[in-house]
Amino acid sequence: MITAIIRKEFIATVRDGRLLTLGCSLLLIFIGFLLASTFQLQQLRQEKESVGITAKEQWNTQSVKNPHAAAHYGIYVFKPDLPVAALDSGLRPFIGQSLWLEPHKRNLERFNPSADDILANRFGQTTTSFVLYALLPLLIVALTFNSVSQERERGTLRMLHSLGVNANALVFGKLLGLLAAFSLVLSPALIVALILLQQNFTLSVDDLLRLTLLLLLFLVYYTIFVAIAIAASAYFKTSRVTLFCLLAFWLGGVFIAPRLGAVAAQSLTPNPDAKQFWAAIKKDIDQGINGDGSHEQREKAFEAQVLAQYNVSRKEDLPVGFVSLNRQFNDGYSVRIHALHFDRLRDNFTLQQHLTHLASWLGPSLAIRSLSMTLAGMDLAHQRHFEDAAEEYRHYFINLTEDWDRGRSHGTERGAKGEEADWRSVKDFDYSAPDLLFALHTARLDIVVLLLWLALALTLLTLSAKRLTP
Amino acid sequence: MNTPPAVLEAKNLIVNYKQHCAIDSLNLRVPKGCVYALLGGNGAGKTTTISTFLTFNSPTSGAVFIEGESPHENPDLVRAKIAYLPENVALYEMMSGVENLTFFCTLAGITIAREQAQQLLSDSGLQDDAHGKRVSMYSKGMRQKVGLAIASTKHAKAMLLDEPTSGLDPSAANDFAQRIRTAADNGMAVLMATHDLFNAKQVADRIGIMKSGRLVEEFDAHTVQHDELEQKYLAHARGLA
Ligand SMILES: Nc1ncnc2c1ncn2[C@@H]1O[C@H](COP(=O)(O)OP(=O)(O)O)[C@@H](O)[C@H]1O
Ligand SMILES: [Mg+2]
Repeated sequence: MITAIIRKEFIATVRDGRLLTLGCSLLLIFIGFLLASTFQLQQLRQEKESVGITAKEQWNTQSVKNPHAAAHYGIYVFKPDLPVAALDSGLRPFIGQSLWLEPHKRNLERFNPSADDILANRFGQTTTSFVLYALLPLLIVALTFNSVSQERERGTLRMLHSLGVNANALVFGKLLGLLAAFSLVLSPALIVALILLQQNFTLSVDDLLRLTLLLLLFLVYYTIFVAIAIAASAYFKTSRVTLFCLLAFWLGGVFIAPRLGAVAAQSLTPNPDAKQFWAAIKKDIDQGINGDGSHEQREKAFEAQVLAQYNVSRKEDLPVGFVSLNRQFNDGYSVRIHALHFDRLRDNFTLQQHLTHLASWLGPSLAIRSLSMTLAGMDLAHQRHFEDAAEEYRHYFINLTEDWDRGRSHGTERGAKGEEADWRSVKDFDYSAPDLLFALHTARLDIVVLLLWLALALTLLTLSAKRLTP
Repeated sequence: MNTPPAVLEAKNLIVNYKQHCAIDSLNLRVPKGCVYALLGGNGAGKTTTISTFLTFNSPTSGAVFIEGESPHENPDLVRAKIAYLPENVALYEMMSGVENLTFFCTLAGITIAREQAQQLLSDSGLQDDAHGKRVSMYSKGMRQKVGLAIASTKHAKAMLLDEPTSGLDPSAANDFAQRIRTAADNGMAVLMATHDLFNAKQVADRIGIMKSGRLVEEFDAHTVQHDELEQKYLAHARGLA
């Protein structure tokens, strides 16, 4: 019985002009956006690569100079985007693309500690993923809002009842039939997306897994919309009321929930502003934390410790360069303080991101939006992963220059020199994005929210079957 | 007297819509092979009666029976034994006659091939060139024929018709009446709601006049004179009787 209903629903929907016209227009919009974002991503990747190579080459070809002076020349590193980012550019518009690595100071990508912008604006973006999470559900609403009420109004529901059709079979048959018809729009989009990505990028297994998972999760998302639309259509007396309620639901989930969530997150856990943030770091370095003593006290203690270690009474008599040694000591402390503040700030970003889910009762869009950013590698977690790797690389090359500086001088003189061979021996920043498991771990809350919505939608559908009187 | 067992039967049936009483103590029997015409004006309670047999409504008190069993206690009875033809046979506009017939038959648990479906539609009087066209192009009479085809495929014990001929042109109505008659002659029990006296007299074996939810008079259609029937019907309609 249910197969017949699925088939009938599929045929009727496919022959309905709405699917063809709306579906084709959406498909065109999607392909347009995808082409644009693929092109943009491709360009970005090339740009990053060439700028990266040029910057490193400039580093490599520095003249003979003091190693620490060379370190101050700095190195640019870039976050490589995954191909999946063509589908969702996520936080890219709000976070810079490059990280400037220099001694003494840890930088943020275009620092914006008050991530208010990020939270509030990242949802209004018209991107490829906007078509997927906002416009396609609208197509679903347009196709589904009268799926039951029309049967009631035309009298086919009575025919079905007189034939003893099981109400559950009817609504679930409708669900599957509509999804099947709907996949006629989705599959060409999918095929086009795959071809475009395949042609422009080399897709790794991890990329393919991310794409597959994204597809599955979007299917869940669409199922939620179809199920709720059918349930509403069975529940409300007229198609008009159903359409009105479904549009309100769509609007609430896609536009209101993210803003509401952002407001909630910001008021519950506000971020410091940039000035406060940097000032706090400076203060902790100057005054020290946990009874470490002030900058001067720490330096004094360190000097005494070094003198004792080398068994000399004056810095000038040290067999190694004291300037570098002292600098490295201070940098070490500064790194600790930076890490402390950076982690606190970024933990707050993450907490806020989780808190936006407080508005998820309005709809599943918040969760899928967040999921798609994560799977595209364009979310806070991937960003942080990259920043941490870059910070480690900063330690690596700065420490290397200090090793040269310390080893090639002694006492308080500053005569150490390095040459091109040294600069060239600094390894490239070799970063690869974390794998799918990392993404899954990051997105676990989103997945739970999405699955809860699925459960709710299917429950509503089952309940609506009980109200399916002719 | 040896009465044949009734296929359709209403016993002291009362149906209320909230405060409003739509059916009031209705007693009715339709045996095998009999066409029973429920004659009455708008709001007399004809549709409600039919709906109760179909379990679209529940009795407030009393009961209806299909071959002695209550469909409200055993919902599968309707599916197994009843064919239903509303005034406007509701079909899926986007699908052809053949597809509609096949779909509804599948729901009724009968699988039919395409050729069979076409044969059934032809047998019900639907012209061949219409079989594959979308139902949205069909006239009311053509829809009725698809409805008839569904009913006949089901091999139902009883057929419930609600104003089947209203809106049909005279020749189509006549043709339809013949088909109902044939179905009854083949053993089906038919309960037909109508306000068309001519149609009732033409096909029915028994005629009941309904008014305000009550069965006010019953006739043997073969013996009652047309004039007499007309006078009684009009009298009830005007509230004179
Ligand atoms: N769904 C309903 N809710 C309330 N009253 C109804 C409903 N359907 C019918 N009625 C009332 O019940 C009475 C009988 O209606 P109906 O059975 O449709 O009459 P008929 O088919 O003979 O025209 C009428 O007074 C009508 O207004
Ligand atoms: Mg009626």
